Amino acid sequence: MAMKWIMRAKEKGAIIIHVDPRFTRTSKVADIFAQIRPGTDIAFLNSIINYILENKLYDEEFVKTHTNAAYLVNQDFSFDDGLFSGYNEETHKYDNSSWSYQLDSNGKPLKTDSLDHPDTVFSHLKKFFKRYTFEVAANISGIPVEKIKLIADTLVNNRPGTILYALGMTQHTVGVQNIRSFGVLQLLLGNVGKPGSGINALRGEPNVQGATDFAVLFNYAPGYLNWPNSTQTSLDVWAESNGTFRKKFFVNLLKAWFGDHATPENDFGYGWLPKMDKRKNYSIFRIFETAIEGKMKFLYVMGQNPAVTSPNLNVVYEALSSLEMLVVADLFQTETACFWEKPGVDPAKINTEVIFLPAASFLEKEGTLSNSGRLVQWRYTGIKPVGQAKSDLEMHDLIFRKIRELYKDSTDPKDEPIKKIIWDYPAEQKEMAEAVLKEINGYDLKTGKLLTGIGALRDDGTTSAGNWLYAGVFTEEGNHSKRRDNQNDPGGMGIYPGFAWSWPGNMKILYNRASCDANGKPFDENLKIVWWDEKQGKWTGYDTPDVPNAADGPDTPNGQKPFRMTGEGIGRLMANTYKDPDPNHANLPRDSSATPADGPLPEFYEPVESPTENILHPNVPINPCLIYPRLETKQPIGTKEDFPYVLCTSSIAEHWCAGSVTRNIPWLNELVKETYIEMPEKLAKKLNVKNGDRVVVSSARGEVEVKAMVTKRLQTLKINGEEVIVVWMPYNWGYKGLSQAASTNLLTIDAGDPNTWIQETKACLVNVRKA
Amino acid sequence: MAVEYAMLHDISKCTGCRACMVACKQWKDLPADPTPFVGEFQSHPDLSPTTLNLIRMTETIDEQGNFRWDFLKFQCMHCGDPACAKACPEEALIKKDNGVVSFIEENCVGCGYCAQNCPFGVPKIDKERNKSTKCNLCEDRIEHGMVPACAKTCTANAILWGPREEMVAIAKKRVEELKKKYPHAQLYGVDKSDGVGGTTMMYVLTDKPSVFGLPDNPKVPVSLTIWKDIAQPGGKLLLGATTMAVIGALVSNTILNRGKKEAQEEGGSNHE
Repeated sequence: MAMKWIMRAKEKGAIIIHVDPRFTRTSKVADIFAQIRPGTDIAFLNSIINYILENKLYDEEFVKTHTNAAYLVNQDFSFDDGLFSGYNEETHKYDNSSWSYQLDSNGKPLKTDSLDHPDTVFSHLKKFFKRYTFEVAANISGIPVEKIKLIADTLVNNRPGTILYALGMTQHTVGVQNIRSFGVLQLLLGNVGKPGSGINALRGEPNVQGATDFAVLFNYAPGYLNWPNSTQTSLDVWAESNGTFRKKFFVNLLKAWFGDHATPENDFGYGWLPKMDKRKNYSIFRIFETAIEGKMKFLYVMGQNPAVTSPNLNVVYEALSSLEMLVVADLFQTETACFWEKPGVDPAKINTEVIFLPAASFLEKEGTLSNSGRLVQWRYTGIKPVGQAKSDLEMHDLIFRKIRELYKDSTDPKDEPIKKIIWDYPAEQKEMAEAVLKEINGYDLKTGKLLTGIGALRDDGTTSAGNWLYAGVFTEEGNHSKRRDNQNDPGGMGIYPGFAWSWPGNMKILYNRASCDANGKPFDENLKIVWWDEKQGKWTGYDTPDVPNAADGPDTPNGQKPFRMTGEGIGRLMANTYKDPDPNHANLPRDSSATPADGPLPEFYEPVESPTENILHPNVPINPCLIYPRLETKQPIGTKEDFPYVLCTSSIAEHWCAGSVTRNIPWLNELVKETYIEMPEKLAKKLNVKNGDRVVVSSARGEVEVKAMVTKRLQTLKINGEEVIVVWMPYNWGYKGLSQAASTNLLTIDAGDPNTWIQETKACLVNVRKA
Repeated sequence: MAVEYAMLHDISKCTGCRACMVACKQWKDLPADPTPFVGEFQSHPDLSPTTLNLIRMTETIDEQGNFRWDFLKFQCMHCGDPACAKACPEEALIKKDNGVVSFIEENCVGCGYCAQNCPFGVPKIDKERNKSTKCNLCEDRIEHGMVPACAKTCTANAILWGPREEMVAIAKKRVEELKKKYPHAQLYGVDKSDGVGGTTMMYVLTDKPSVFGLPDNPKVPVSLTIWKDIAQPGGKLLLGATTMAVIGALVSNTILNRGKKEAQEEGGSNHE
């Protein structure tokens, strides 16, 4: 569906650039296509950044006004031979204390008027990116120099421009730094906060935005609040590293969860929350590995089919077989639910007890869906659930009520949270979903009225909000996610403020303050979206202005904070550890934003399995913060001698993720019928393989047999003087459902990005032979 | 007179997502047609009784040496002068004023003449039911002011539906735009004086029709014109419709074979 909007932009004259390891259906409608070696995005993007810096093609006013370019960096900071200052070889971790600013006596960052001062972020940028010439980028990525230059010039000459990306950028051991390169590029071009600009993640599933907003991520509480660890013994200790700004949101979350039981005296029930062990990683990989180690007995899986979608599937199957009990809630009997039916496995030898809960589909339940644009839309029930199927909400409600009943007489202090949590949703499905959304929105606990927005939240326990980002979605005026005004578009910028509701505060374009100059005047009158209205004495516009306080004008500190979630309020060309002091709390910072674990600037590292050396720093070829293998015997790393070809994997338009639903739809199965491998003609010739011939694809982790698709859409690449062959496979299949075929993830590597633990399924090494 | 409609497929805009194929089957409640996977991106080798709309995919190297991947929405062309209707001995196929070549299933005896004579190789005989099959432009939708299911679902605005005049104007404008990048960009089916009387299914093409497996100069087989326009009207008057169908079947075997040969020579079956 994203292509619908891309095609509309094209109709209006937008130039489409598509960079991908293979020529796809998107490339077909693009104006410029570049074939890139998987895992080399940073080298490619950094060379464009370098070109912009060297030739002064950046938006100087934007850079000076809205970024940290002129801030002075700690003189202890360094970058040498692939490593930033503070690296610890034993732990594979950085001590990031030198990734900071020089501060004045009040703890505020020092800045200069001259970008050329040797300590500025800008000077560090120029020095850091200087190594990334077009020639270096071409050698690493395989994209010819002329094409990189064409793309760079197109980006520079067509502003504002937007970047759309998906898992092709994130499923790498440098996933976060890939996006950091986008951030630097767009900030330099002034492409943030303006209509038609930005960096847009196209989320892979209809409600994956909603899922992450509500902490379906192992390290967060709802609203991207860091989940407390065991060293954070009180809310104030938690706030030392998270800031008072977010502490307020945490208090509201605890009030939503524990109601009257949460009081200032008991730290709002903070002590009842289970804490993470700071030394441990709780990602999906460690869930499975912990099961293999015998430390996890029970797993409850819903909305996911890891027996198809997780990398290095042999680990997943062994883990599921090691559990005492597995509960799976899904629409169909998935590979995960039926892992014991895997071909070649003897079910009699598996002791895991499996319980399957039939789940309702999206057509059978009421609730909201949050899309990639943070637009929260209410969905109505179309039909009643089939058979005994139940919505997730109803399942959770029934299970938790039963749990609470079982614990009602317990006097064990660890059972307190089960007894203290507020759980009083109406039983009727329709009412239940709206009751949950109201709890998420939050209440003024003194009046019992629904909150009007984030600004109404208090830190003293007199308000509650289940997710601070969503405050304002359901007010006394009604459920805004149900609004459907698709006519009223003031300004003609496609804002439609009366259509559903976006977080935060119904804002459509984040950082829109950056579309104005220092005085609050739009940079471009034709693209104006918000502005400072001197007469009214407030920020106003077609969109909700992204400012800390609408009445704080450009002459106040708050009027110069287009990126108000960072401590310094401006865009970080170079990441930083800065936390701004809270004037009201002597020992606590006000705000603290994330700093990537693997460096303040995006550096290129080869994928774990690479067909070539790292020409920038052969001694530090891969992400130095990576810890892999985690299980010595189950996570082998292949070499190019045994596995000479690069495998890129992805989903395909006709099938969705694990295919748990789509592989049960015959109309989709007839379009794309089974797993296959796309290979360039050159490899096909070498292997004597024709279209439709069966081939065996193997990696250090496993092998599968699939049919070949020989195509001109993949070409061999010239990398560091050698020819590199890239092949591609869709990962959507398994042995259940109406369409059954080999699982590509038997081949892929389960090394994870050190920030997010997303797997490197976009690049691993394989061998291919004729079956 | 009813408004004459047309469908336009702008192949330069098509993203090959194939949502139109699914929408077609969903609206018409047609089952999947699971053909074996032979290493092609294209889902089916050809139309079938249960696949009335097919995105055909071609990988080519153009005159400038550039790689090209093209998608063409292939289904009944709804000719202005439909060979199928001429060949049909039972009036199961009728060209309507709104542009649709309508198919009246209860009249069809499954003789297959339509399939044999179509210059585009479109109609397919359902051997189980002994009926011909082809796209009817969702007549049941358009009669109620809705657009055909495929056009309704198209995510890329590549399939347009509307009054023929409007579609022709859009198509002409697009071809002019495309000529800058594609020197051979052209219209297809717009000219009513072509060999099939123009088509209701029109295309904006980025190259010569043959690049996409369409006949460069589609023609109604000459023998058919003789049969339908001269011999059959007289015959029916004398002998009555049913008898005529039987005689027609005998007589037209000769015509049929010749017709098929002609169609092939004119490039009509070259759509693989």
